[in-house]
Amino acid sequence: MRLHKFLYDVKRYRTILLMLAPAVAFFLLFAYVPMAGIVIAFKHYDYAGGIFGSAWNGLANFRFFFESGDAWTVTRNTALYNIAFIAVNNFLQIFAAILLFEIGGKWFRKLTQSILFLPYFISWVVVGAIAYNLLNYDIGTVNALLRGLGLEPVDIYNTPSYWPFILVAVSAWKTLGYGTVMYLAAIAGIDTEMYEAAEIDGANIFQRIMKITLPNLYPTLIILVLLAVGNIFRGDFGMFYNMVGNNGILFSSTDVIDTFVFRSLITSNDIGMSAAAGVFQSVLGFATIMSVNYAVRKYDKDRALF
Amino acid sequence: MATKKSFLLLAVILLIATVLGACGGNKNSNSNSSSTPAAESSAPASNSAESSGETGASGGIDTSEEVKLKMIFVGPKPVDYDSVFGEINKKLKEQINATIEGEFLDWSDWAQKYPLKLAANENFDLIYSANWAGYNDQALKGGFLELTEDMLSKYMPKTWEAMPKVSWDQAKVNGKLYMVPQNRGESVEKLILYREDLRKKYNLPAIDSPEAYANYLKTIAQNEKGVIPFTPETGDWKYHNLDRVLLKQENEWNMFDLDMPFAFKLSDPKGQVFNVFETQEFKDLANYYKDLASNNGWSKNALNSKNDHQQDFKQGKTASITHNNGTLGALMALMRQENSPYEVALADINPDKAKSVAISTQNGTSVHATSKYPERALMFIDLMQNDKELHDLIMYGIEGVHYEKSGEDKYIATDKNPNYTGFSNWSFNSPLNRDNVDFPQEASDLVKKWEEQVYHYPLETFVFDNSKVKTEISNLGNVMLRYAIPLEYGVVKDVDAGLAELNKQLKAAGLEKVQQELQSQIDAFLAAQ
Repeated sequence: MRLHKFLYDVKRYRTILLMLAPAVAFFLLFAYVPMAGIVIAFKHYDYAGGIFGSAWNGLANFRFFFESGDAWTVTRNTALYNIAFIAVNNFLQIFAAILLFEIGGKWFRKLTQSILFLPYFISWVVVGAIAYNLLNYDIGTVNALLRGLGLEPVDIYNTPSYWPFILVAVSAWKTLGYGTVMYLAAIAGIDTEMYEAAEIDGANIFQRIMKITLPNLYPTLIILVLLAVGNIFRGDFGMFYNMVGNNGILFSSTDVIDTFVFRSLITSNDIGMSAAAGVFQSVLGFATIMSVNYAVRKYDKDRALF
Repeated sequence: MATKKSFLLLAVILLIATVLGACGGNKNSNSNSSSTPAAESSAPASNSAESSGETGASGGIDTSEEVKLKMIFVGPKPVDYDSVFGEINKKLKEQINATIEGEFLDWSDWAQKYPLKLAANENFDLIYSANWAGYNDQALKGGFLELTEDMLSKYMPKTWEAMPKVSWDQAKVNGKLYMVPQNRGESVEKLILYREDLRKKYNLPAIDSPEAYANYLKTIAQNEKGVIPFTPETGDWKYHNLDRVLLKQENEWNMFDLDMPFAFKLSDPKGQVFNVFETQEFKDLANYYKDLASNNGWSKNALNSKNDHQQDFKQGKTASITHNNGTLGALMALMRQENSPYEVALADINPDKAKSVAISTQNGTSVHATSKYPERALMFIDLMQNDKELHDLIMYGIEGVHYEKSGEDKYIATDKNPNYTGFSNWSFNSPLNRDNVDFPQEASDLVKKWEEQVYHYPLETFVFDNSKVKTEISNLGNVMLRYAIPLEYGVVKDVDAGLAELNKQLKAAGLEKVQQELQSQIDAFLAAQ
């Protein structure tokens, strides 16, 4: 009976299932099968043995990270930076999306949207070079301006305390356009009848935004934040490495797990040890997303991811 | 309502697709590397058995089967690869019935790709190897085929005869050989290239001591607007070029592959190792750097600068750079050829100190552990190093196109020369090498002088096996990058506090444990000699 129903369902939804198939295949091939590779985090990797033939060495690969004394600092940095990125970026993206939506003029809106989107395509290497030319002490634009105004130049690249702000600003600049499109799509999906009704009832533009647009964006926001939270323990290596490089002076406020692991292992190239760091990040990420999702479900069952 | 949902869905799908696209890309390369070794892991065992069996059975070498060899080089693929390698293959086919195909790992990402080629056990026969490309490490991990004396004397008789024994010894890791080193000493000692016209302009004394050099840099900083006195090499980190001059050469020390916080005195017969960063010498040097940095001897943000120091020097933007003799000599030759308005000169600021030649593993060729044709691969290396015609081809390209012969041991670079250069053919360096006729005389003279002063020391062939202290080595390296480099560029506010912090962190990272392990291996090595 069960089987019969299953076969019936398969037949009935065959078009939809067929559309789903590539995605399922993709995940199986690129997300689930490679998970078996996690074993190298617990192995002493050698070329002859490969991933499955190498000898086990227990938790030895994890030692370098936890015995370095920096494990707590870099883990905290990674999480705090990502929380700041999520909060600031989403806020600005929603803000920009609402502004773009409210501004009439299709032509103007499209142009602004495209310009906002541009930084998303610039590689971090280029962004790092631009930042250096803006911020460096000797010939940087910022300091040239300060000197021109008769002010003392600031040595940004030797002062760690500026960097959290710089990095958050750069991240916001780079992701603004991408996120804005996401929220614009969500706003465009809001039933226009609601706005018409509100207008007839005499609601002004701020009331419309506060009472209609924002509440309707809420589900999108939750989903985007939940997805981002899963990666909260992964630092964006491209960003941190290209912005900060090997400038040890700044590490106290800019070092994240990924840059730390890169520096430690760049000379030894130990696959097992870098895999161990990856496993550590994944386990933390998994724990975070499970607990945040649980909290969301407690609060509002329909909004949770799963 | 329906439109709202579909828009939302679309947005989410878009996001998921990009997120997973990114993850998928990484995982993809992982899964590639995972499947190959498993599938081919049985190959090395059967392979070596086969080759040793053959060696035992017959004296002559059977080359009746045509073989395609593949070699991995670092550096970009030369523009004229096809024509030069085509020519090489014609000759190879005649001599050993084999052809060679090159694969090139560009400078921008070779350091990531190189270990992956080996880890993924890709299909190739030969690979460029070098101490600075992790030779010891890759050999210990089993990436390279062990080369026995039997194999060497049988398949590469010319090299076996021409190569000094000390070169083979230097290339041994734990007593086993995994590389055919270059057969030509090369000086890797760093020295300084500076603007002679500026020195004359300010009537400065000859630059022959660290003090005179500091004086030069400070004078430029004060008087020459728009010229940065010194520009470091980008990406030059642990023990940067100036450290090698002012710490290593000046004190006649050596540091193990320039990777660990330890050094030993060249003159010490016991090879006692000590922590570099606890010495008075390093403290003095840190103060020397601090003084230069505060006097604008280099950019305040040198640590983040990505400027190409050679380009900057050529364009007159910087007044001195450091590199090895070969590189600086080539730059001088180029500047003179192009009639540069700047007069340039080399400075050896510690002329009487012991200089060492590069150990042979500076450049070499290794056979891949799972190569199907190790015999032919060795025969190939033998020809490349010792067959005049093939050596000229691989090193300088096609005569009349890329270079002109000038006598037996010199060449003239033609304007097409840049179309065949810039990749790691250096592993085939041998006594057959030609020198560029334009190479500056003073640079050659310095090399000759240094060669006379070359100092051989007991630990020259010592190789550290770090497998027992890997964790500590990783953490020490990290501490050096984070706390030592700022001191080495004089950007720390308080040198004493910076040094104290550095040493505290080194201790926490396991300095003593590594030092003990290192010392015990050295003691055992010296006892065995």
